[in-house]
Amino acid sequence: MLLTLFGVSVIIFVVLRLLPGNALTSSLGVSAGLLSHAQIVALNHYYGIGEPVVQQYLSWLHAIVTGNLGVSLTSRTSVASLVGSALPVTFELAIVAMVLGLIIGVVFGVFGARRPGRAVDISGQTVAVIGLGVPSFIIGTGLVTALAALFQYFPSSEPFASLAGDPWLNFQQIIFPAFTLSLGIGAAIMRTTRASVLEVSGQNYVRTARGKGLPRRSVTWKHIFLNAFIPVLTMSGIQLGYLLGGTVIIEQVFVLPGLGRMLVTAINGRDYPVVQSVALIFAAGFVVVNMLVDVLYAVIDPRIRAAR
Amino acid sequence: MSAVGVGSAPAEARGDLDAAPLTARQGLLRALWRSKNGRIGLVLVGIVVAGAISAALGGTPYDPQFQNASALLQAPSWGHPFGTDQFGRDIFSLVFAGLGVSFEIAAVSVLIAAGIGSIAGVIAGFLGKWTSAVIMRTTDMLFAIPAILLALIVVAALGAGWRNSAIAIGVGYIPIFVRVVRGPVLTLRESGYVLAGRVLGFSRRRLLFRHILPNVSGILAVQVSLALAWSILADASLSFLGLGPPPPTASLGEMVSQSGSLAQLAWWTLAFPSIAIIVAVIGFNLLGDGLRDAIDPRTRKR
Repeated sequence: MLLTLFGVSVIIFVVLRLLPGNALTSSLGVSAGLLSHAQIVALNHYYGIGEPVVQQYLSWLHAIVTGNLGVSLTSRTSVASLVGSALPVTFELAIVAMVLGLIIGVVFGVFGARRPGRAVDISGQTVAVIGLGVPSFIIGTGLVTALAALFQYFPSSEPFASLAGDPWLNFQQIIFPAFTLSLGIGAAIMRTTRASVLEVSGQNYVRTARGKGLPRRSVTWKHIFLNAFIPVLTMSGIQLGYLLGGTVIIEQVFVLPGLGRMLVTAINGRDYPVVQSVALIFAAGFVVVNMLVDVLYAVIDPRIRAAR
Repeated sequence: MSAVGVGSAPAEARGDLDAAPLTARQGLLRALWRSKNGRIGLVLVGIVVAGAISAALGGTPYDPQFQNASALLQAPSWGHPFGTDQFGRDIFSLVFAGLGVSFEIAAVSVLIAAGIGSIAGVIAGFLGKWTSAVIMRTTDMLFAIPAILLALIVVAALGAGWRNSAIAIGVGYIPIFVRVVRGPVLTLRESGYVLAGRVLGFSRRRLLFRHILPNVSGILAVQVSLALAWSILADASLSFLGLGPPPPTASLGEMVSQSGSLAQLAWWTLAFPSIAIIVAVIGFNLLGDGLRDAIDPRTRKR
């Protein structure tokens, strides 16, 4: 995992070093041409450009490990403090969306598979087609329009409230973007759950459980669902990548001051220290969660535990 | 890529394994048409592709960029089937012009992803352990960055624009092609006929291009279709964020983003670009599913 993280940091660094021009010209604009030689040297030293590439990388890496993410070129505040205020928003959004997605996916998936071809199943399949085919920014824009038209509700009318500060306002501000994001995840999880539950339902031990007279609900959740859960978990891990990408777009639609919005603003403003750090944080989050998913396998499935 | 090829398929497409390549391909089309997903996918893709091509050839009722100041934000009518936007441009023309741009970007990006990805995948599957290890570790690392994020980083580095969007989206999808191609190549490498070819002293190149690649082509076709769907989605997302090709290039994502503040008054500014994106994405996704059904002998019904 550390190796992957290291590789990811190299990729992000290399890609962002391909850029034409440098932080100096982009932050000072035309006035960069008016600098004296001594000033350029001093500024190069300040921003750490002009050193050999490997050294630049290593000093970046060292800075990150020690918690120093650099200084934003546009707002002149430390990237760490910007991230500190934006990270909780994205974190909350991702968690709520994932939970909603799991609920939608598992409920429709399990009940759909228990009654294939019935109303629950068909409505679930329809939701899946919409969730997978309709981009989240369209659902989001549509939702914002509908909320404005029906309830005169505008997500950006009030500044973002933190969870600790004003839980009720925070809930209102988070729930719609989270729901938008959860449709796509829920659709993918639903398909996997449905297929997996259908497969497990045909196993001998399920017939045995039913044959010895266990109640239907107990068979469904204890015998079928727990055994069908591993692929669902894998799919949830994969979906988290889409989820993190999705927050970038949804935060834009619903004007949430999270990491994703910060990233887009930074890209537009050519604020590379911020782009670099935020990209690395997203990637690190994805890697860590996938590792947690691996650990969860062992928690859920005793066979995997025994094999280790 | 339409119903024309289907009717002409010979009735005898049964012995897939030793059938001539041409017959096998026609059998594939027929199987594709037989699966419900494939059929709907073909129709949807046919509609949007035909519309986009005719728009690219100048077949739109209006010049997409023509601003008619006396027809601002008009509701759909016979003159303007999809209505007009806040600059008086005809949305019908804009949507199909936007689809055209979107397909161009998607085609180039999938070419990049499929080209680099499948070559890397074949090499990783066919050549020695060392090369394979290097390619697969690199792929793992690329995979650890969510694809749309990778595209965003590349756009951040290169700047917004037509070509850069295509490169960015293509790079994001490379790891998937590597993984999808490598698996089957690993299996094929040990298959009877490849071993036989090796015993006969065939060159590596001949084994690769004549014996292995044709057998991966079906899986590749499925993935290309799914990649096209993803590229259209990613391109729309990038231009929604204002990181796509700059105006005056018609762009569906940008149209959706612009309509955000207008949609309450003029629903058509949001609805039609959205529908175009959705139809294209669902179309290619279903086509991919249909192709998968068609080449998978377990689901292939006769």
